[in-house]
Amino acid sequence: MAIFAVALAAGASSVSYPVAAQAPAGAPAYTPPRTPEGHPDLQGVWRAWNLAKYDLEAHGAKPGVPAGLGFVVDPADGKIPYQPWALEKREQNYQGTRATDPYLNTDPYAKCYFPGIPRLTYLGWPFQIIQTAGDVNFAYEWSHKKRIVPVTDAFGPRPDPEDGLNARWNGMARGRYEGNSLVVDLTNFNPYTWFDMAGNFHSEALHVVERYTLIGPDALQYEATMEDSKVFTRPWTIRMVLQRQKDIGLLDYECTAMLDELGIHHTWPRDFDVQ
Amino acid sequence: MRTRNWVLISVVALLVLAGASIPAAGQGRGGRGGGRGGGGAAPPAPVTPGPIPRMPDGRPDLRGTFSGMGAGLTHTVILEEHTSGFGIRGGKSLIIDPPDGKIPYQPWALVERDRRREDINAYEDPVGHCEFYDIGRLHSFAQRFMYSGNNIVVGAQEQIMRVIDMNRRQHLPPSIRLWLGDPIGRWEGDTLVIDSTNFNGKTRMALGGDFYSASAHVVERYTMRDSETITWTMTVDDPTVFTRPWTFTTAAPMTRQREGSNDWNRALRLIDPAWEHDCHEGNVVLKHMRNVYEQAHGITPTAESKR
Repeated sequence: MAIFAVALAAGASSVSYPVAAQAPAGAPAYTPPRTPEGHPDLQGVWRAWNLAKYDLEAHGAKPGVPAGLGFVVDPADGKIPYQPWALEKREQNYQGTRATDPYLNTDPYAKCYFPGIPRLTYLGWPFQIIQTAGDVNFAYEWSHKKRIVPVTDAFGPRPDPEDGLNARWNGMARGRYEGNSLVVDLTNFNPYTWFDMAGNFHSEALHVVERYTLIGPDALQYEATMEDSKVFTRPWTIRMVLQRQKDIGLLDYECTAMLDELGIHHTWPRDFDVQ
Repeated sequence: MRTRNWVLISVVALLVLAGASIPAAGQGRGGRGGGRGGGGAAPPAPVTPGPIPRMPDGRPDLRGTFSGMGAGLTHTVILEEHTSGFGIRGGKSLIIDPPDGKIPYQPWALVERDRRREDINAYEDPVGHCEFYDIGRLHSFAQRFMYSGNNIVVGAQEQIMRVIDMNRRQHLPPSIRLWLGDPIGRWEGDTLVIDSTNFNGKTRMALGGDFYSASAHVVERYTMRDSETITWTMTVDDPTVFTRPWTFTTAAPMTRQREGSNDWNRALRLIDPAWEHDCHEGNVVLKHMRNVYEQAHGITPTAESKR
């Protein structure tokens, strides 16, 4: 399985290693089926079988983590363009992930908190896309998370992200279709989520643009561009290919219940609650 | 002093367990900015029910948001007839079979249900841990129906998004146990019948402690009556816990929700992206529930439960 995943990661990784699954320029574009509303039909169960959850950048093996190529396609060097202070913070974040007690572990995922976007996409559990005329619903097997992306202007403009009351773990979404793609624009994030297990992080100024494009009947290309003037020197983009899961639909993974099963009572103080 | 604490905790616990998830402080909740608020809206124009809307294949078109709730938190708490108290309104039994309105528990199971109903045991309810619900608890939520390929998807508040497989005929292997069971759907006339097995036996049907085991077989029937109305019943068969199958329904027929409808504020949570169904992230109440539980049961607090 690990070898399979590594191979996929390589295929879905950087511009230096193009693979057929990336729909190289010049190849005839796949024409996806359409919903009754005329939108590209992205519905079904999708899964990222890759190493993105460990580290979005190319990395050597670490305890419990296979080595692999990265997913950052812009900038061309495959590195997340951190400001100098933020690079140090990323390292501190990673060192803090060695704590076995979730309360002391720096990774919010260890506490079963919302992984945020885009991390929820490539966490490794499948998710299902359900399209209606007015919105796109994402149902995630991981902890039964879900989110709703409106593709009309029914909800008007988003509130001011500077007002902390409007911060969300998954941001606040506005969607639109562009050709064969679903584009999701996200703002109003809180600063508590990470991008992966390597400590890659952002601030509340994060702006994410996701792009879901069918490049074959069972292959969904996922791109996300991150912009955050407080943490990065420039926007950066990841790209990977998600696979359609055909054998069974969504099952269960209730993360907090798994903590209980391990005897970890998750009664800890919520640090963001007392700030 | 301890008694007073328990009362306080009970009220907080009710709010949590009744499905009002706890927002992390600093996170505004839905309807505030960014969303179409329900408050202050003019009362809706009365809607005259029309014929059942249909899909091209003739099946009823359930799509839309419906709610059979409107009586506050009442029936999230207790399914049988009950008096008011502790912030809970009194209510009639939701059980339509058997005719006496009582859940036909086996004697041991009734004792267990009553034990679970005790405030001092509220900590045991997984919903208070922000863990998952139970199909039975759907009756107190607005529900949104969506059609997607071979699936009918039923969304409800909190983390609930049920994907009903309309093609599969065989349930999952028994080694796979799920919080909401394994739902398989079929049509019987204008009724969507959902057959579920493979439960994990960890859930409770309501704060009042009602439960079934992992061996339960649950059949729900959503019947479209006209363009505005769906009725829902849920029949529970579980020889481990009950003496016979029994059936309950919503407090009122499920009616289509539009802006300004009786349960629009909750229906809005199913379509408004301003709503984020977080719970565990801000669950500062769990610690207090655990403290109460430890005191009541003489459990020595650990360093973990004191932090």
